[in-house]
Amino acid sequence: MGTLDNKIALITGAGDGMGRAHAVLMARRGADIAIADINEEMARETAEMVRATGRRAHYAVVDMADTEAVIEMAREAGRMLGRIDILVNNAGFGQRALIEEIREEDFDRMMAVHVRGSFFCTQAVVPAMKEARYGKIINISSIWGMAGAPVASHYCGAKAALLGFTKAWAKELAPWNIHVNAVAPGGVRSGGPTKLDNSDVLKAKEEKVPLKRYCEPVEISYAVAYLASPEADFVTGQVISPNGGETIVGY
Amino acid sequence: MTKDPNSLEGRIAWITGSGRGMGRAHAELLASRGADIVIHDVLREEAEETAAAIRATGRRAMVFNDDVTDACAMRALVSRVEAQLGPIDILVNNAGIGEHAEIEEITPQMFQRMFDIHVRGTFFCTQAVVGRMKERRFGRIVNISSIWGMNGHHTASHYCAAKTAVLGLTKAWAKELAGFNILVNAVCPGGVLTEMPIRVQGMEKIRAKEKLVPVGRWATPEEISYAVAYFVAPTGNFVTGQAISPNGGETIVGF
Repeated sequence: MGTLDNKIALITGAGDGMGRAHAVLMARRGADIAIADINEEMARETAEMVRATGRRAHYAVVDMADTEAVIEMAREAGRMLGRIDILVNNAGFGQRALIEEIREEDFDRMMAVHVRGSFFCTQAVVPAMKEARYGKIINISSIWGMAGAPVASHYCGAKAALLGFTKAWAKELAPWNIHVNAVAPGGVRSGGPTKLDNSDVLKAKEEKVPLKRYCEPVEISYAVAYLASPEADFVTGQVISPNGGETIVGY
Repeated sequence: MTKDPNSLEGRIAWITGSGRGMGRAHAELLASRGADIVIHDVLREEAEETAAAIRATGRRAMVFNDDVTDACAMRALVSRVEAQLGPIDILVNNAGIGEHAEIEEITPQMFQRMFDIHVRGTFFCTQAVVGRMKERRFGRIVNISSIWGMNGHHTASHYCAAKTAVLGLTKAWAKELAGFNILVNAVCPGGVLTEMPIRVQGMEKIRAKEKLVPVGRWATPEEISYAVAYFVAPTGNFVTGQAISPNGGETIVGF
């Protein structure tokens, strides 16, 4: 099967969790993958998993808060694999804190990794996409960016900013046949929730979801892969939230 | 006699970016409904002018000129207001800047300034007031976003996303603070006839843009202030986590 045959995708934060799931699924569907992650060992492992599907892989170690390094990483990925057709702005992290607990350095890192990192990674790949008159950009937001949460408002604000980029870039880049969409995951069995696996805490959370469960990372990747494929050639400025019905809102 | 549900009698409101434009209109309307006002703008002369207008109505006003990106200065501001006027009941996070630029034109410095003023400023102004609001179990926070934050635009994506981040903070804080009777909402202005767009674009261009708005015109600054006043008065006592976009029907979307 190959809805992504011979496409080249750059995925940030692809060393583990959802990012790794996106990389492996998109490789299975025919794409070569550039992996960026802050953790070298995890990035290399994902690259090996991609190569095991028969596709090419390139990986780079980068801190998304380091703007210059992000721009260089994106250019290098394009040089190594030939070009970038698909960019998945996935790198991110969570931090549970109330308003009063969020220090200036916490706030700044949250914004730098999610918002500034995604912006300048996109800025680095856009000129070549414009020239090619082809591009698919997928921003990973969150159910919390859409609907808020009683904790972690700096995370919620950062993830909402990614929805703002999605809407603005969809309009700015449409004339170049560059499509920009967002995926806003609900509860996923990766990262933090993995540590809670089968615990009462996770079971109580899953009980509140209409579909009564969190999903596997690959169930988020299906939305990403759809938006990256020609099946989504008429889709731009939109958001898909695979969340089991937990939040149902207007975008 | 029942109390006027629009009344802000005895309230103290801090309005950032209130030296001119919409911020000044918010200050004047809230004062006319009974609130004392903390005028806050980096433009000193304009801030003093707003304060004079407030004092002329018989209300108290204090003036501050600190940059909203200075979190430390925001904490000091709150202490000084509390000592002189009393605790802050209402915060309107209004300070902001506009800048037209395409993705490739946005430098790291432009990007940082845009997010520092709108997002970091809104965050740390709020953090500075929220402790006392929790103690007093009363607070009204209004974040000024934009129609472009709801719906995007074909230029200025750093501005658009900063304004969307403000909507994200609104939704999160509504949930985090509801238990303390602190209500958090957003206002997303459409086209508004303030001096800034008139100077930058000129009236001819604005008249052409007004033709694209279903109601056929841009708003006056006061028409944005009415939405702010609705949220912060008893009229908004059951309203939190919501957005009103006075935009003449230009954009009609889910929040």
